[in-house]
Amino acid sequence: MWLQILSEILKLTVFAGLTLAGILVIIIWKRDLKTKVTYMRFLVQAAAMVAFYLLFSYTTELLFVLVVIFLLSIFWGRFFCGWLCPFGFYMDLVAALRKTLKIRYWNLQDGLNKILDKFRYALLALFVFLPFMLGEIEPWQWPLAKFLAGPFKPISVLLSPVEPLVIPWESTIKVYGVNLSYPYASVIAFYSGESYALLCISIFVALTLASSFVVRRFWCRFCPTGASFSVLNRFKPFRWIPLLRLNKVEEKCTKCGICKRVCPAQVTDVYEQKGGDIKTSMCMLCLRCVELCPYEDCLRLNLAGKTIFKSRNWLEPSKIE
Amino acid sequence: MTVVAGIDMGVQNIKVVLLRDGEILSHGLAPSGFEPEKAARQALQEALEKARISLSDIKHVAATGVGVELAPMVNSKVSIVSADAMAAVYLFPSARTVIDVGAEESRVIRCDGKGNVLDFALNERCAAGAGAFLEAMARALEVRLEEMGELSLKAKGTASISATCVIFGESDVVSLIHKQEPKYEIARAIYDALAERIASMIHRVGLEPDVMLVGGVARDVGFTTALKRKLETEILIPKYPELAGALGAALCAMERVGGSRR
Amino acid sequence: MAKTDKKYGAELSQREAEEIREAMKRASTRLMDEYITRMRRAWPNRPDVMQYFDDIAMLYGTRERELLEAKEEGRKIVGYTCMFAPIELILAAGAIPVRVACGIYDAVKLGNRIVPVEVCPVVRSTIGIGMVGLSPFLELSDALITALTCDGMTKLSEILSDKKPVWTLCPPRLKDSPQSTQFWREELKAVKAKLEKLTGTRITAKRLKSAIETMHRATRAFKRLQEIRRNIPSVIMGRDAMLVNQTVMWDDIERWTAKTEELCLELEKRVREKVWACQPDTPRVMLAGSPAIWPDNWKLPNIVEEASPQGVIVADEFCFGDRFLYDPVGVDEWTMDDMFNAVSERYLLPSTCPYFTSEDGNEDRINWLTAMIKERRVDGVIYHVFRGCMLYAMEYMRIKRALDRINVPIYYLDTDYTREDVGQIKTRVEAFLEMLKSRVEL
Repeated sequence: MWLQILSEILKLTVFAGLTLAGILVIIIWKRDLKTKVTYMRFLVQAAAMVAFYLLFSYTTELLFVLVVIFLLSIFWGRFFCGWLCPFGFYMDLVAALRKTLKIRYWNLQDGLNKILDKFRYALLALFVFLPFMLGEIEPWQWPLAKFLAGPFKPISVLLSPVEPLVIPWESTIKVYGVNLSYPYASVIAFYSGESYALLCISIFVALTLASSFVVRRFWCRFCPTGASFSVLNRFKPFRWIPLLRLNKVEEKCTKCGICKRVCPAQVTDVYEQKGGDIKTSMCMLCLRCVELCPYEDCLRLNLAGKTIFKSRNWLEPSKIE
Repeated sequence: MTVVAGIDMGVQNIKVVLLRDGEILSHGLAPSGFEPEKAARQALQEALEKARISLSDIKHVAATGVGVELAPMVNSKVSIVSADAMAAVYLFPSARTVIDVGAEESRVIRCDGKGNVLDFALNERCAAGAGAFLEAMARALEVRLEEMGELSLKAKGTASISATCVIFGESDVVSLIHKQEPKYEIARAIYDALAERIASMIHRVGLEPDVMLVGGVARDVGFTTALKRKLETEILIPKYPELAGALGAALCAMERVGGSRR
Repeated sequence: MAKTDKKYGAELSQREAEEIREAMKRASTRLMDEYITRMRRAWPNRPDVMQYFDDIAMLYGTRERELLEAKEEGRKIVGYTCMFAPIELILAAGAIPVRVACGIYDAVKLGNRIVPVEVCPVVRSTIGIGMVGLSPFLELSDALITALTCDGMTKLSEILSDKKPVWTLCPPRLKDSPQSTQFWREELKAVKAKLEKLTGTRITAKRLKSAIETMHRATRAFKRLQEIRRNIPSVIMGRDAMLVNQTVMWDDIERWTAKTEELCLELEKRVREKVWACQPDTPRVMLAGSPAIWPDNWKLPNIVEEASPQGVIVADEFCFGDRFLYDPVGVDEWTMDDMFNAVSERYLLPSTCPYFTSEDGNEDRINWLTAMIKERRVDGVIYHVFRGCMLYAMEYMRIKRALDRINVPIYYLDTDYTREDVGQIKTRVEAFLEMLKSRVEL
């Protein structure tokens, strides 16, 4: 068994190596500063999606990786949402399709956006407590499934965005013998019962895909998993914990509003706040604002106070110190 | 023995100061009139005669003042603002705010202990904030400018005139005369108006003690009283306030030949 | 009274207009020649490519001919008085943008017949050149885009409407709120429709993308030049940089970009080879406030760079200068909607015009000045205000306090469209430069 684990680790390492190589290729070859980070993020998202699929094929022992990722979110907030979440990746793919078709997106009204921001914590609380009130279901076959469907059902909701499209166990949706799934599909199947499961799942898939075609990263604005990561940034006593932060140099900010306009989550905190670390709980660290800020060293991504990425004159970066 | 000369090409008078090894040696003065260059030579000659030296003894001549372009035999130029600051600290090492009220132009300069200029303001465009204002008002009041100062000391401050402009000021004086306001009250009002203008210039650069007053108008007791009253502070006035510019230029000349300012 | 009667009567008889125009044209040409010669003299190793900018700066020469030719070919010319006019939209519609503010002192005498002398001199002289037809850009415009910003600009817009079709843009005084950006977008949509009607060309996504990219290239060249101006000591004299910055407003933008890149190449070489334009200890001056428009307003820059001690202008805050190309259009997705939003927001949000205020502290201008002072290592600021310019004059105290906090000297210099105060300005500027120099030495 240890041999098997070792070989799987080797596979993962090769896989990680290939991803890193891909990232390096982009850094070196991609000239256009306005899309470099976006491409990198795309690659990392794709790699993450594949990684999660591979992980779900393993035995329960390796699931500690998942736990690690979620624990890391204590330190990197919604970085997971921006770079690793497969559900987010699907929404970004839909957005990419929309961009190719040159169709415009729609912004949620400011008021509605702010309400959703507060509402998602309520939603999170609901999902955490609701399963305790509805009782057990039939245990599934794999120990993994048992882990998911066990007494800790809130975990199944929180892990749902990660649920791969092709799962290694029995599913409600079967195409040519392949078990298909979708984020939140198992949760919906559970709550809607046997006969309506397929219908509800289909409606959910259609709704999420269609809405994210129109509104960028629509689900993310009230995603319970995302809310669980945001908790630390939202409530003052915990704000000092996250290590990855956006930072603004007030003097260089011209209030041009580009950061506000390009943000897929419609975060206005980066635009509105004066200098220093930006206090925001919705931001998914996709870094689009930093990438498109046209002023040298105005917006930064700081890791534990140290700047690892800063905005630059993407027309042509500075040569003089 | 190093002798240097400073020439202040003022609008009304040319002033010359000679320094020997950093000490004041002599000075000269001549009215500029229509030929400022000739007047400058005259003033220089006067200073040389008093010092009993000749032109060839002078190592360096620095010029300043409004008419600096016309100064003869000049080795270097310096702005009147810098010259005033250098002279102020030389005469009173504690001076930090220098007010220079000349015939046509007045300045307020804030400096540090070494005579470096930190900030400055000049009266804008019009001569209402300078000596010319007093001359015009004295004419309107029909008193001699030399007597107007003493006259104003008797007053209690019951009248006031506008300080915006010489023309408006004149008409204010005339209307006060018609109202039978006593002459000494009007005289004081004139000085108060000028002091008010100077005070608003000071506000632009900030007042830092000690305050020093230079320029020809500093000899007018009416003005110095009014200014002390307006600023509510003591004002240092040198023995020859009109020579400050020329002294500053001479100190600058001193620096240029390699000596220090003190 | 017929509705077509002129509202302000800002015109002269043809004979009188022609007489005055020819005299003013001669005088102006002489003056421009003189100023260009002075710039050449003050910078002994001035790069050859600067001659191109000199040529374009001669207002009655090459560019006038080119615009006449373009008109004959059927192209439309759209003039604009203010920096709020959306250049990208003008280019996308296939029209030629030219800026129409006047920098000629003598024209003020004519403008004084129509409006009182207390009015901003830029406005008075623009009225003046309109009366005699002195500006080729104003005369050849098929339409004018004006911004209703300060009082002067607003009424100038009315006065000019007697002469040319005027399309007004009204920027909201508070630019922060969502209703402001919404309103501004509607204003630009209206101008877009008018442009399309004038030129008969629809502004498609493709054309707009091309226009945005043209301006991106121009902005890149501009920023490259500004980078070079950060160097201590300076490799380019301020007046020449200002000339380059201003010529973009009436020159062919693509050609200007190419020539500016050429200039930058030469200057970058000089940085490496340490070929300075002035001494290392020359005080570095920034001009802020009312814009000093070519040619007559070179009065102040001439004094600064020919004074003793000499100063070098390393930055300015003029909407007719360093601010014009400062902010690029940030397009996220190249859809018509996003491009239009990007253009619209670019002209409104980063603007530091004192026309704006804010409930939130209104620090945009302070931030820009502070950042520029630090970036270009500015030793002192000359705050240049025209008599009658209420907005810049009133903001002075605010700026002074902010600069006092970072220990940068600032000098308030008010002036007018006249050469009579050259002596006074010289005294003040030289005193200021001396002060800066002694600070530099400390």
